[in-house]
Amino acid sequence: MSQAATAVQTDTNAEHHEELSFLYKYILPTDHKIIAMQYIFTGMIMAVIGGYFAYAFRMQLAFPGELVPLYGLVGPGEYNMLVTNHGTIMIFWVAMPVLIAGFGNYIIPLMIGCDDMVFPRLNRLSYQIFLASTLVLILSFFVKGGGFGGAWTAYPPLSSVAEYSLTDWGASLWVLAVALEFVSFLLGGINFVTTTMNARAPGMKMMDIPIAVWFIVLAVILFMASVGPLIAGAVMLFMDQRIGTSFFLPSGGGDPLLWQHLFWFFGHPEVYVVLLPTLGIVADIITVFSRKKLFGYKTVLYTAFATGGLSFVVWAHHQFIAGIDPRMANVFVVTTVLISIPLAEMMFSYIATLYGGSIELKTPMLWALSFIAAFLIGGVTGIYLGASALDVYFHDSYFVLAHFHYTFFPITIIGMFAAITFWFPKMFGRMMNDTLGKIHFWGTFIPFNCIFLPLFFLGLAGQHRRIYNYNHFPDLATQELQNIRIFATVSLIVMLCFQLVFIYNFFVSMFKGKKAPDNPWNANTLEWSTPSPPPHGNFKTLPTVYRGAYEYSVPGREMDYWPQNEPPEES
Amino acid sequence: MSEAYAHPNYVKIWIWLLVLLALSVAGPMLEIPTLTIITAFGIAIVKAFLVAANFMHLKFEKKIIWFLLLMSICMLGVFFFGVAPDIMMTEGDQWIDCIADKSCVEQRL
Repeated sequence: MSQAATAVQTDTNAEHHEELSFLYKYILPTDHKIIAMQYIFTGMIMAVIGGYFAYAFRMQLAFPGELVPLYGLVGPGEYNMLVTNHGTIMIFWVAMPVLIAGFGNYIIPLMIGCDDMVFPRLNRLSYQIFLASTLVLILSFFVKGGGFGGAWTAYPPLSSVAEYSLTDWGASLWVLAVALEFVSFLLGGINFVTTTMNARAPGMKMMDIPIAVWFIVLAVILFMASVGPLIAGAVMLFMDQRIGTSFFLPSGGGDPLLWQHLFWFFGHPEVYVVLLPTLGIVADIITVFSRKKLFGYKTVLYTAFATGGLSFVVWAHHQFIAGIDPRMANVFVVTTVLISIPLAEMMFSYIATLYGGSIELKTPMLWALSFIAAFLIGGVTGIYLGASALDVYFHDSYFVLAHFHYTFFPITIIGMFAAITFWFPKMFGRMMNDTLGKIHFWGTFIPFNCIFLPLFFLGLAGQHRRIYNYNHFPDLATQELQNIRIFATVSLIVMLCFQLVFIYNFFVSMFKGKKAPDNPWNANTLEWSTPSPPPHGNFKTLPTVYRGAYEYSVPGREMDYWPQNEPPEES
Repeated sequence: MSEAYAHPNYVKIWIWLLVLLALSVAGPMLEIPTLTIITAFGIAIVKAFLVAANFMHLKFEKKIIWFLLLMSICMLGVFFFGVAPDIMMTEGDQWIDCIADKSCVEQRL
């Protein structure tokens, strides 16, 4: 940007960023870093709830009809509620708040070199609406009939008729919570895009923006472009539930397929909405820990554009056997297979970045590498499901479930841990314990594979999802299949236990960890040029940018990194 | 930004809109199907363009705003044509009557 390039170094308005009272610093903050932490902590608390739900229903699957320790008996209705809200929470209340709203808020102003978001109060409002949506969702668990049990996709008529879902108010509160959450992210998205486009440090051209920032911005643009139909659908669903309309009810002339279209027109881009931030975070981490320039910065960026564009024309691959026009299925098979091309290209770029690098296996790097490995399995199995002929068999089986978790677990959980372990020193001014970090990594990654790899086999064996007790189905009640279910459940429990290591490491390091230097990883991006943790207002002096974000191991330089804000040497 | 806008002649645009409204009301009265479609949809598009360009000031905006508008219309088109074969061709009754009627199922396949 020419404006940015010609602007001069400015003293930050340090005098405008005086210390605030506790109320305005932590309860009603406008500082993007505090808002980011509010999102991240809320997301982490919700992750505990989502994980607890997973534990409860997995125990029911492994030991059907038995009392689940720390939970109780899981009946069929309760099972539906648990799986529905596990999915809802993990996608909408963990992946989105932590990866997009949380880390987006934290890193965008720091990485582009400005003092805050351009609309700080809008930012605060965004979190407050998100918090309200969280409370509404939690409230829905306690109303008569319990939480919503119509699956996170909320297909009508199951979701729109209380007699079918058996969760009258739970269903309506679920819709309300989701709608509120989307309003919150729309507000946040406006802030992210505007800040990145208008508030970059002097000298930071579009192609100097770190990939993590680019991808978060692209993600919110995808979100804003896709969410409209779903909000409209949510209003119609709410009206079907509460005032007797029949938008999606066949008995009144409505069409349930319309909801599926409205949902998936948002739902599939949503995969990329949460995927892109993690891809960006991973790109930044692998360059730092392999001390190499990102291979094909522009290629990576353009593949993300292509992925984003194509993500709008693949939605009906979720509906191949829902009764859609078979001619449309052909179209969506082609577009679905097409979308794997840019993503594969991006993965090759990441692998090429690693090639020949001085790889240092610190905890964030382990998470980043494991993301690439796990996500590739998720991506490749998606190609099977994208073929409509194969999907006839696989649809709604555990193969889909395993594929889905091989994409969403790396995106949400691995991406979240990668980001936390990487930026923790900046956020709290202290280092996390690397040994405990590695124990937590292996204790999560190995059980993760032990949970979900066997589920592919269960799916191939014909095990349908959303069944609370397989003993009712003779073909699926064999001991061999049950052993696999038990193995997956035990692996989940092992994985959950290892999260205690993370929680211990997180909180102990926050207060007693080794003091972190400003730039512990010798990274180039601007957030590492400010103190750890950054003061209110971020920078003592607003930085000027002289180069791209990935100038590592530049020949002829003594140091193997070259911060973006370091002035060029006089020749 | 706003001070840089040139203002269109709003009254003139309004009169054009009224004329087009009259045409779109009169067109269907002739009961010629093609003319009805042209007067209903064709004139609606022209009117929408006039409103967007003048009253919404798109005429005076940067190209990026037009690009965004175009993208939105494309998205609408993608969604409409992706959904229409399922929703519009069946009069919404396939879920009630069609399943019992084999010929109906065959026809849909």
